[in-house]
Amino acid sequence: MATITSTISAPTTRMRISRSEQLAPAAFILPAVLVVLFISIFPLILSLFLSLSRLRFQAGGLELQFVGLDNYRKLLLGNEQKVLFGTLSEPSLFGWAILAFVAAMLGLTVYRAVRRRAFRAAIGWLFAAAVLLGLTYLVVATLFAPAGRPGTLVVTMLYVVVGVACQYLIGLGLALLCAQPLPGRRFFRVVFLLPMMITPVGVGYLFRMLADTNKGPLEPLWIALGMQDFAWSNNAWGARIAVMIGDIWQWTPFMFIVLLAAIEAQEIEPVEAAIVDGASSFDIFRHITLPAILPVSTTLILIRMIEAFKIIDLPNILTNGGPGTATETLTLYAYRIWRALDIGGSAAIAYILLFLVTFIATLYVRALRSRLGTT
Amino acid sequence: MRSFFRSSSPFRLSPFRMLVSYLILGFWAFLILFPLYWLFITAFKLPAAVNNGPFYIPFVDFQPSLHAWEYVLVEIGNDTVRLFTNTVGVSLISASLALVVGSGAAYALTRFQYRPKVGTVLVFLGCVLLAVVFTVLGVPWPLAVAVAIALFILSLFTIARRFKRALSNNDIAFWLISQRILPPVAVVIPIYVVFQQLRLLDTWVALIITYVATNLPIVVWLMRDYFASIPYELEESAQIDGASRFRIFNQIVLPLSLPGLVATFLFVLVFCWNEYLLALFLTNARAQTMPLAVVAQNATRGPQWWYMSVLVLIMIVPVIAMAIALERYIARGLLVGAVKG
Amino acid sequence: MNPKKIASLTALGALVLAACAAPPTAQPAAQQPAQQQPAKKFAGITVNAITFSGPQIAEPMQRRGKEFSELTGATINVVTVPFADLYQKILNDFATGTNSYDVIVFAPQWMVDYIEPGYLEDLTDRVKADPDLQWEDVGLFFRDFSATYNGRIYTIPLDGDFQMVYYRTDIAKELGLQPPKTWEDYLAFAKAVSEKKLTTDDGKPVYGSCIAKKKAAQSYWMVTSVASAFIQSQGTGQGAFFDLETFKPLYNNEAFARALEIYKETTQYGPPDEINLDVGDTRGLWTAGQCALTIDWGDIGTLAIEEGSKAKDKTGAVILPGSKQVLDRKTGKLVDCTPELCPHAIDGVNHAPFAAFGGWSGAINKASRPEVKDAAFAYLSYMNQPAQSNVDVTIGKTGFNPYRVSQFKNLDNWIKAGMSEQAAKDYLGAIEASLNSPNMVLDLRIPQNQYYQGIVLDGAIAKFLAGEQDIAATMKEIEEGWEQKTEELGREKQLAAYRATLGVQK
Repeated sequence: MATITSTISAPTTRMRISRSEQLAPAAFILPAVLVVLFISIFPLILSLFLSLSRLRFQAGGLELQFVGLDNYRKLLLGNEQKVLFGTLSEPSLFGWAILAFVAAMLGLTVYRAVRRRAFRAAIGWLFAAAVLLGLTYLVVATLFAPAGRPGTLVVTMLYVVVGVACQYLIGLGLALLCAQPLPGRRFFRVVFLLPMMITPVGVGYLFRMLADTNKGPLEPLWIALGMQDFAWSNNAWGARIAVMIGDIWQWTPFMFIVLLAAIEAQEIEPVEAAIVDGASSFDIFRHITLPAILPVSTTLILIRMIEAFKIIDLPNILTNGGPGTATETLTLYAYRIWRALDIGGSAAIAYILLFLVTFIATLYVRALRSRLGTT
Repeated sequence: MRSFFRSSSPFRLSPFRMLVSYLILGFWAFLILFPLYWLFITAFKLPAAVNNGPFYIPFVDFQPSLHAWEYVLVEIGNDTVRLFTNTVGVSLISASLALVVGSGAAYALTRFQYRPKVGTVLVFLGCVLLAVVFTVLGVPWPLAVAVAIALFILSLFTIARRFKRALSNNDIAFWLISQRILPPVAVVIPIYVVFQQLRLLDTWVALIITYVATNLPIVVWLMRDYFASIPYELEESAQIDGASRFRIFNQIVLPLSLPGLVATFLFVLVFCWNEYLLALFLTNARAQTMPLAVVAQNATRGPQWWYMSVLVLIMIVPVIAMAIALERYIARGLLVGAVKG
Repeated sequence: MNPKKIASLTALGALVLAACAAPPTAQPAAQQPAQQQPAKKFAGITVNAITFSGPQIAEPMQRRGKEFSELTGATINVVTVPFADLYQKILNDFATGTNSYDVIVFAPQWMVDYIEPGYLEDLTDRVKADPDLQWEDVGLFFRDFSATYNGRIYTIPLDGDFQMVYYRTDIAKELGLQPPKTWEDYLAFAKAVSEKKLTTDDGKPVYGSCIAKKKAAQSYWMVTSVASAFIQSQGTGQGAFFDLETFKPLYNNEAFARALEIYKETTQYGPPDEINLDVGDTRGLWTAGQCALTIDWGDIGTLAIEEGSKAKDKTGAVILPGSKQVLDRKTGKLVDCTPELCPHAIDGVNHAPFAAFGGWSGAINKASRPEVKDAAFAYLSYMNQPAQSNVDVTIGKTGFNPYRVSQFKNLDNWIKAGMSEQAAKDYLGAIEASLNSPNMVLDLRIPQNQYYQGIVLDGAIAKFLAGEQDIAATMKEIEEGWEQKTEELGREKQLAAYRATLGVQK
């Protein structure tokens, strides 16, 4: 993660620790911590309670009936299981190959940890491996299986992985191009920012208008391609692709602007020296630019990934989660049943999302920290 | 031909590279501008022009009409103005506050080392849990909170001291960003209840506090990297000269990280400007914001695309203006290719 | 700062908090300074109303609200929120004791969730004491079922919602087709149109049937419109969703299977993306002249005569098609209609017009102050009285559809609004036939009906239409989902509520 350049400034014996110096650490961080605590702690705990109970509206207020893990049971094992996990079936050969590959990588990591005698890390990796293998099997048995159908969990992960990857790559490409001394690049910089500025529900409706096969502007294109009777909204993958396109369109600016700022904040001397030495642009990118923007990139991907898991407006407005459950995400699922007053169930889904994303984020941060060699 | 692919000096771009760059950039710009163009003309179309199939060019394919603008700005003009003012006010204040508080925290996380004890954290959580349990069981909440605080302070000097293990800065940072994980739908009712008890519903204050709190993690994470890249020597010399931390922060660190600050400010502004669910529940008539108006156009009659387009356009224009104005601060003029542009 | 100081400061803070232990009181309604003129009945009183963002419903509320202010001196504040979130917002407000609203204009379908916890004021006595309201003029169905729960009146109807089938009169004439009387007729009509491959005058295809089948939108009403004729035949009190004795769902049997077959077959004759169209899209298609048949509420009638509509004077309406076969509840089989089984059949066809959604109605918050409640009732009554209501229902923009007998006896208002005499007769005739039918279907109003219909039914139907599962699996999913919720909430309680809404005495 970000390199922490130094610890607290060690006063030399000649300096007194002034009053303000003593207070500074607390004063700088406490406001932020307190504000976040105030808003977050109560909802977090109350949501936990809600997910373990059933909410009812009675005369005189709300009635919370404690039901233990029943909401979770319904989601994970009961009749809602199909919605969450989808229909699993025999993976194809390719699917098995993926599963084997992931298992091998994880096994290697655990083995290496044991070799290093880092037993705590090894146990941690073992646990992570179990969960990761479970998730991989879920993905493989629904996406890479002919008869499988992905549930909201897998669809959400699909949106996150494909979406964030595309956004980052496109954003990086655009940022690199815009960092060049091109006349008129200010125009591009402003234009590329625009999609992010539109309110998400606005983007949802905009794309619904655009994708409308009957009165949308792409109608001549559909006819030219002979697809005027094809309803993307009827087709599971067509609908998912529509959602992903909208998502990428909307959030690439986020990656773009941060990466652009990072690229432009590079120190100029190494680059100039490299150019004089005759290095190609690709070499400069690979050896100078990329390492320089790597810390920011990892932060960016983490932030965007956490946000992407919550995607709701696009699938909600484009297809309401349809056809069937093809485009429904975890948050949309939670929202749907929340509107129908199943507040406990909705909280349970939110907590499942919380566990999943915390797990992935922790894994991500740890893996990167060991790679980047920071504490 | 050779001069097309080569440039006159290593510091300038070859015409070939420029062409390719323009093509790619132009293509993406088209992908962005076309939908916006569509949005723009839909704001001027009559319902029949929208429903009867794609019409592209005003005055040629369809007759533009101002009926949607008239409706939004005149018929419900009072509402629109109120919503707009609320959005502008709440967003600007929230973004500014979040930036101030967040960058302070980000700076602290890169310069100081915190070691919050695990014991303290666990005890704190335990006391909050206790307070919530009491409240659920019927105890009036101020009393429950007071009891919890008292318990916390007591145990701070006894139990918490026992556990030596401590967390680090990275854990604090991770805790902050993990606040973004829970989707709004899960937290909206608890937050509603909190502000209801504080009698702050339907006010700017409720929205501002919520937005600042939910966006602080982003500010902290983004600014951390910018601050970390500022060499510490600059501050060290100022410290030796006797400057206080606050002064160093204000006068040395902040100006150097202006691009990051501006970019982050824009982000938070956009997030606050466009937020829907919390605004829906925390407001009533007085403090409603624009996104509510956009969603409201999806009436039982079906989406009223024309009104929606007008509202979205009204919402985008100020943000774009701000982006244009602030964009120059994002680029500091250090470019790959080294020609100042 | 040493620990002691920190401790004492926080202890002080804790004391301050404990001192604020006063329980929150309901927010008092804002007071206006008293008006100068005397004898304005409700001078100085503010009534806060909430409904969804219009212009439908909200516009007439605001307009009539202003008039009401002139007449009585009360101030009416209309707050609007997006439709999809109205239910939650109201419930939240009442349940947490915030009580920001005195009047709610909402879907009666949600009534039970507000009445059971005691949030709504009983209006029976006020209604009886108000001659201006002309309560007897309100359609029988709305009076006795829509506005009533357990024999008491809780809402004042402002709008009449039920579904009908609309057909293109010009296409019918051209192809020699009759307006559909049964669902088989409907399919035949749609098929004939579809095979002809007609186009509008700007080259767009005309579809045989356009029904809003989008997930989480209105599809779960559409399918009930089709199914009810097969399931309910003995009058409104028989109910169309659950068995009256055992509360077992009636959506897993031959009758519903037949309805699902029909529902799916209509997709063949519709637009290619029909399962992603909600009612706004199908209405758009209708006014663009691209549909020959559709199922919808009363809005099509008033939308068709708007400027730019290609279906003006070409829109006919009929009561929802029926069926010659109905469900025999004792055997669970689909059997032919007999006089005993189908006492309300017309020419041997059992019609069961479906009052989907119920029709926007106004109710009053029980926790409001008495004088505010009086003003609120007067306001609702004012909007409801024939002088105002009969004009509002002819204007499409208001979103109010006819619900009073006097509204479809008199063609003048309609013709003034732009309907041809024939179209008006047709439209109003269909409405009248529906309203007067003794076999009208009351929408589901048991506690958490949103879950039964919006989650279970809608989810299953969406998967069925998307081809993810067959009829048997769909019906099983519906039955299981409903049964599970019933068990959770208590079968006896749900049964009692169901019977109460149908006015069935034990």
